Amino acid sequence: MSDDNRKKQEMTAIQPPEVRPGAVQPNASISRKLRDFYDAVQEEGIPDRFLDLLERLEQAEKNAKSVNVK
Amino acid sequence: MSKEDEIDDRGFKRDLLASLPNLRAFAVSLTGRHDKADDLVQDTIMKAWANQTSFTAGTNMRAWLFTILRNEFYSQMRKRGREVQDSDGLFSERFSVHPEQYGRLDLQDFRKALDKLPDDQREAIILVGAAGFAYEEAAAICGCAVGTIKSRVSRARARLQELLGVSGEGDYGPDAGDAAITSRAFGS
Repeated sequence: MSDDNRKKQEMTAIQPPEVRPGAVQPNASISRKLRDFYDAVQEEGIPDRFLDLLERLEQAEKNAKSVNVK
Repeated sequence: MSKEDEIDDRGFKRDLLASLPNLRAFAVSLTGRHDKADDLVQDTIMKAWANQTSFTAGTNMRAWLFTILRNEFYSQMRKRGREVQDSDGLFSERFSVHPEQYGRLDLQDFRKALDKLPDDQREAIILVGAAGFAYEEAAAICGCAVGTIKSRVSRARARLQELLGVSGEGDYGPDAGDAAITSRAFGS
């Protein structure tokens, strides 16, 4: 392979890829990272403190209602 | 959604629970910290519960909760001033606590970049790009025009690309690790 040819090949390699089906756009990379970050938090699920809190709120509401009935 | 008109107390709690992971991720995005985010979520749950009669059954509960959380966040920020100053230090601290959950270095860099965005741009790109809201819903949550949200999202994208050194080159392919190696190889 001549030097000329190698240069040509390197230049081709560095050029931005053509848009082809399934290719990821620059913005898509940002979007994917954004979702990765967000999903990582979502996948932690619901901490117990919130389940407890809702339980207490619900109980307090029930108690208040039963007082009203009397 | 359907049959939301049959909503009762149970339905309210069920829908609230279903929205919580997403709501919490939004809180983490806004505050940059898990402990602050969880306090914010707790305040939001209390507010939402106390105001459940003002929630219109059949409308989007997620959007309603996000609006409460967002208002709460900004009103607390106005009261206290934003305590998060040294975001780099804070983030590394957080990550050293939960390294297994954020194993990818990639993601840490992304969080740091995200924190460098102005608040209005960050929330816009999170709502539209991650939380799954339409531009119209995001605009309603933020109390601004749809066009404003669109321009904030596009400015946020441009800024993130700049911060992360992402351009058309080397930023494709299924694996970010490969892309990083590729760009390093080209860079040297």
